[in-house]
Amino acid sequence: MIKRKLILIMENKPGALVRVVGLFHQRGYNIESLHVDPVDDFSSYKFIEEKLETKFKENEISRLTIQTLVSDSLMRQILRQLNKLIDVIAVSNEETTYLKGVLLDENLL
Amino acid sequence: MHALHDEGVELIFGYPGGAALHIYDAIFRQDKINHILVRHEQGATHAADGYARATGKPGVVLVTSGPGATNAITGIATAFMDSIPMVVISGQVASHLIGTDAFQETDMIGVSRPVVKHSYTVFDAKDIPRIVKEAFYVATSGRPGPVVIDIPKDMTAPENLFDYIYPEKANIRSYNPPVNPDQNQIKRAVAEILSAKKPVIYAGGGAIASNAERELFQLNKILDAPVTNTLMGLGVYPATHERFLGMLGMHGTYQANMAMHNADLIIAIGARFDDRITNNPSKFSPGAKVIHLDVDHSSVSKIIEANIAIFGQVKNSLQAMIDLLNQSLDKYNKDDLKEWHLQIAQWKSLHGLNYEMYKDESDAHPILPQAVVQHVYNVTNGNAYVTSDVGQHQMFAAQYYHFDKPRRWINSGGLGTMGFGLPAAMGVKFAFPNEEVVCITGEGSIQMCIQELSTCLQYNLPIKIININNEALGMVKQWQDMNYGGRHSESTYQDSLPDFVKLAESYGHVGIKVEKNSDLKNALEKAFSMKDRLVFVDVYVDPAEHVYPMLVANNSLEDMWLSKDKKT
Repeated sequence: MIKRKLILIMENKPGALVRVVGLFHQRGYNIESLHVDPVDDFSSYKFIEEKLETKFKENEISRLTIQTLVSDSLMRQILRQLNKLIDVIAVSNEETTYLKGVLLDENLL
Repeated sequence: MHALHDEGVELIFGYPGGAALHIYDAIFRQDKINHILVRHEQGATHAADGYARATGKPGVVLVTSGPGATNAITGIATAFMDSIPMVVISGQVASHLIGTDAFQETDMIGVSRPVVKHSYTVFDAKDIPRIVKEAFYVATSGRPGPVVIDIPKDMTAPENLFDYIYPEKANIRSYNPPVNPDQNQIKRAVAEILSAKKPVIYAGGGAIASNAERELFQLNKILDAPVTNTLMGLGVYPATHERFLGMLGMHGTYQANMAMHNADLIIAIGARFDDRITNNPSKFSPGAKVIHLDVDHSSVSKIIEANIAIFGQVKNSLQAMIDLLNQSLDKYNKDDLKEWHLQIAQWKSLHGLNYEMYKDESDAHPILPQAVVQHVYNVTNGNAYVTSDVGQHQMFAAQYYHFDKPRRWINSGGLGTMGFGLPAAMGVKFAFPNEEVVCITGEGSIQMCIQELSTCLQYNLPIKIININNEALGMVKQWQDMNYGGRHSESTYQDSLPDFVKLAESYGHVGIKVEKNSDLKNALEKAFSMKDRLVFVDVYVDPAEHVYPMLVANNSLEDMWLSKDKKT
């Protein structure tokens, strides 16, 4: 078990955070720390805007930083489960980024 | 109501209450959508679920806040576990009362969160058309599932008017389920298939959800490989086809489990390697490579690592495989599988299920539950929609009723919800009033939603209920026999069962009791000849009977109990 950092970009909608936190509990993963910010500088997320053919507006999306203790084998499963949540746009760990289930080369970290 | 009609909804199952009264008044003042009044909200969700499984269209449920909403939870969880499209609209207390512990207030979004695909709260009445559109899109696309819309009462107030426009398309930028497969992965998969000597096709509920039965059949016309189905997948490949192995897993056939264990290639199609399939994952099919076709990224390599993952609608993925295989037909020789088929035939003749039990009409011994299912199969010519509850009768039905078409076998596979069968049968009967609908149940399960007999009377639903009555919670008892030294803790109630014949009659239906082998066939024929009546056939069966084969816990797929005293 290693401490790992995950970054999520998700819609800033009521109930979105609880879906993420709830999923950790529901699937038996542990959260060590969690930090949420609304995003107003989208410069690092241009690649998402391009892929989704959308334009983010102020306060529309949030950035979530989660530290979690998990094994290697669980990591991919967590990323995929998180990305399956309707409000989660993209999720990264050190190695991998999923944008709506699709593996990307870019990273959110 | 307007939005639901625009979405193409024809039928809603529900139960009124305070917070939903504005919506119910709107139902009263229209005639396009039929509302079915059930007797318990759980019944509404199961009925909508049965409707969805049989038709492929989303089931729609309307309940009130608080207890109405919480009663619906079991049905929502059932649909969630089996990936069934459903939209549940729950009333909520008025916006200004939310959070005050108002009368019949429950945080429905919170309570339902772990068992829905997604959920919505209406904060502004103007959002209703968009939310309804999105809810149906989410429920039916990708890997389907239930979606909850929680509507505070003031959002449905008749004086709350706005310009109504129903959107043509749902546009959710953060939701984008895969549709078409990656061609490279298809190439890799086909190469693997061409070199396999002992392939098995393992198809599950996802193949049905994707309406992929034709593609599957076509694929196997080329491959001629053995096919097994999960409990959820039964019917997607014709059960009477000579390449069909039967169901696999916990109570799967000997040949299906042996074939999976000894395969060199497993082609998993819309199946998720559930623990009832794999037994101990570390001992699962040691020599097999796995090609996994699924629409859900998180289902692949969750339990069993896939060598080749193909994401997309499995219907499209199968078609892509067929197209590519058609170009490589010269590299494929069906005869290479001859030995494999021989081996499977041997397994089948060694320990395959005995399908001759129905022929025994001797009264020297009690009725066997397997024989009941076989008689039902014969009387209905294998053409019925069969719903079931959960337990031994469910496994007997899955083993002995041969489904040649998908969406005919309607059961709660993932959650294992007792009480599912009768309301699900109602949903199917509403969808297909001219088809034979049978509920194969047990005396334990049927009592969990027995109140719906009243709904069946109100709407005149001539369902046939076959109650396989062993006077005990059979599956619990079987486990207690096998693992707990025969200590039947809280699994029996012989002396307190109702008289089911009188019970059916009190609801205005017909009841028939069967206790002797020699009466069974006639009783069933009589029941099915009453085309316009609900008939409750209460069949007393051998209470000592167990379901076999049964996997030996924590072992591989070749470790099975074949009878009470015989192990592989």
